[in-house]
Amino acid sequence: MRPILVWVKQGKKQRHLVSADSHTAQHFIVKNPKLCALCILLSLCLSSCAFFVPNQYLPFIALFNGVLLLQGRYLGGGVKGLFLLFTTQLAITCALYLLLHGGERIDEAMLAVIRILLAIIPGWWLSITCAPQRIGEVLSWCMPHKWAFVMAACFSLLPRIGLEVKDTYQMQVMRGANITPKALCRPKHWGELIYCVLYPLLIQLLKLSKQMALAAKLRRFGVHHKPTHWPD
Amino acid sequence: MQNKGFTLHDALFIGFCATLLVALKGMLRLKLGLTGHSMFLMTFFYLICYGAVGKKGAITVCGVLAGLMAMMLSVGKGGPFIVLKFALPAAAMDLCLLVLPTVLALRWRCIILALVGTVAWASKGTIEDVLVGLSFEVVLLQLGKSLVFGSFFAILAALLVPPVLQRLRSHDLLDREEL
Amino acid sequence: MQLLQLRQISFHYQTAAKPLFDDLDFTLNAGDCQMIHGHTGSGKSTLLKLILGVMERPFAGERHCAPQLCLGVVMQDPNVQLLRQTLGAEVAFALENLGVAATNMHAQVSQALRKVGLFISLETPIETLSLGQRYRLMIAAQLVLQPDILLLDEPWAQLDNQGVQELTVLLAQLQQSGMAIVIVEHHKRAFSSCVTHRWLLDAGQLHPYQENDAELEPALLGITGGRTKLNASAMQAPVIHAEPFKVGFSGQPLLFQSAALRLYPGEIVALTGDNGTGKSTLLKCLAGIQADVGNLGISVLNQRPKLGVYGHQLALLHQRPSRQLFESSVIEEMQFSLKRYGLPLERAPQMLARLGLSALASQSPHQLSYGQQHLVALASLACLQPQILLLDDPFAGLDSGFFCQVAKLILTLSEQGCAIVLASHRPLDLLPIDQVWHISDKRMQCFAGDGLTQNEAYSRVG
Repeated sequence: MRPILVWVKQGKKQRHLVSADSHTAQHFIVKNPKLCALCILLSLCLSSCAFFVPNQYLPFIALFNGVLLLQGRYLGGGVKGLFLLFTTQLAITCALYLLLHGGERIDEAMLAVIRILLAIIPGWWLSITCAPQRIGEVLSWCMPHKWAFVMAACFSLLPRIGLEVKDTYQMQVMRGANITPKALCRPKHWGELIYCVLYPLLIQLLKLSKQMALAAKLRRFGVHHKPTHWPD
Repeated sequence: MQNKGFTLHDALFIGFCATLLVALKGMLRLKLGLTGHSMFLMTFFYLICYGAVGKKGAITVCGVLAGLMAMMLSVGKGGPFIVLKFALPAAAMDLCLLVLPTVLALRWRCIILALVGTVAWASKGTIEDVLVGLSFEVVLLQLGKSLVFGSFFAILAALLVPPVLQRLRSHDLLDREEL
Repeated sequence: MQLLQLRQISFHYQTAAKPLFDDLDFTLNAGDCQMIHGHTGSGKSTLLKLILGVMERPFAGERHCAPQLCLGVVMQDPNVQLLRQTLGAEVAFALENLGVAATNMHAQVSQALRKVGLFISLETPIETLSLGQRYRLMIAAQLVLQPDILLLDEPWAQLDNQGVQELTVLLAQLQQSGMAIVIVEHHKRAFSSCVTHRWLLDAGQLHPYQENDAELEPALLGITGGRTKLNASAMQAPVIHAEPFKVGFSGQPLLFQSAALRLYPGEIVALTGDNGTGKSTLLKCLAGIQADVGNLGISVLNQRPKLGVYGHQLALLHQRPSRQLFESSVIEEMQFSLKRYGLPLERAPQMLARLGLSALASQSPHQLSYGQQHLVALASLACLQPQILLLDDPFAGLDSGFFCQVAKLILTLSEQGCAIVLASHRPLDLLPIDQVWHISDKRMQCFAGDGLTQNEAYSRVG
């Protein structure tokens, strides 16, 4: 059976939600879904290795990750986030070691933080080389048709959800709600954020899911036990 | 709780909740903020799914979908392991629901589920800490910190869920009555 | 040939005082184009559900349909029906679900798209299509199933005039091919060239509808006739002023360029232009909430617009304003902003009384009809008595009754000195306006309306 080809060309707006160091379309060099599946597996293996391999093999893993880091950087991926994460983790862990064990076991702390970094780099590289749609397409191979459809619908909805969140937030700020970043520094205003922004959004999602389910059913969703797929 | 499988409407709502969770997490960019803040959004959306869909497995499905979305969109930079971060607390909550008496008030059920989710979330971090070779004392301290902060945020979210569900129901937006 | 018949349908919502349908009868034959009018909340959308056979709640009566009957529907907002990301995949969705082989899909998809006049690549991302194109795409997505009946829910409100013209031509073609069409629409004059039957859904039954040109005007003229406009010489500084400026998103082509703007207290501006010309963007720029647009040099209340700086002095009503409702009762919803801005809470019940909505004060805003929700959302902003009120398509989807109420509220605010900008994708007939800001061909022209209706203002400038 063909994979569920609901994942189509890169939509420009979707990138707004792609984490702090968002990428441009040319980063996603892996176009073939099978190659993308290999990348996911590689990323999974390397991340696992960072946790499980004995110390003597760690330099090999580090070397491999170094290559990924260079390629990711070459493709334009931002390393600021990684650097920030690494330094914060290092500072916290070293401080804890100094506090609990004194200075003699500090190398242990550094090694642990390096392992954490090595576990993160493959995921970072995957997000630069493979487009979200390709990853989605691979994931849909092992999903039931209904859930693959749901994933695709969610993905299509992302730009809209982003826009709705923003619109609703702005609407309520203009109505005087205490939900500006400054106001939210005080936890007593978090409830207002839930009621003014999340609650209306939930209402919309409830209505939208009902309408979309009806729209899909009216277009015969779930009628055939072996649905076919539009050739992408 | 009913258990007749998810209708397409249920499935889409769970998916949309997962998407909103990931979108908000991506937007708020709280990655380097306080420990445990992610438990706030996770607990809130998981419990809303539990209340709105009212079927076994709804929380787990929401967690898995959120994890997959986060992996695809590289929210949190976790790569394939990010799926576990979202799915583990969700699965723990669903397992807890199997033994949680339904006669208990919704508020208390939400708080217990939030705490169970926090324990699962903190355990995942602890296992990682052990695997990377941190000392026992440091692991214990990190676990304690995660539990304290995670529980604080999770309980805060859990307390907000029953009134939200109540409002949805009183406005005739939820069909299910059993909660 | 008879395709569908509804006989003696009765239906009653548990929470409603009166039955929605009371012995309702309806018959649809091949080649019919039947239009159903009705006030907001009269049950038009529920009737569509009944025709489709997707009612969630039990009803009394009979629904007979021809064997193997196939129905297609385009909902009020076609965006909620879009399930895929490209043109081809969207149309092919129904074929996939029927198990049609991938090799046979291309021809069927292309044929359906040709029928609706969409001659663009099958790989075109849907997000790049205009609302009119999306509407036709959704019809193509139904046509691929070769439906016997096509149902359309309030297309006039969504489409601009060009979109309506294109749809009218398409409907005539489909009708000639033997398809039956049902249009639920509160605008009485739309699609008149292809309509074979007109009904008014009222008091739970369908009554033959006789067009009455004088239906709306007297009511509205009664409101607008007595407008007292502030004396121009008494006016102080403009509340909005800008030298000629250009609007465009960073890294993207120019959206439009504008002449200098001046808006004085109490003036009403009609901001018009087709779908997608940049009306909402301009409103957001005026409110200081449009991202990705640089400094336009616009001054609003003597400062550069920014979210949160104006407090209750500037209010913006977005499209689909029901999105902002969240409180448990209408009165709480109205008092939300008054509380936050420390204004007198009595304004809320006074406003409700003025609008004749006092009976709804303790009701949940989510159980109101579309028109009532719209009015409550607008009234909650009007309570603040802002200096500037920006309204994005405030009349969309409203029937004549609610149109009058919204118009009345706008005129009252204007008389109190509030400057109002009304964005709309078609000329605001019947409403007296002081200026027209019209966007077309990437240019925004500003001309005086002198308190005339917009059509009169247009004819004045030729």
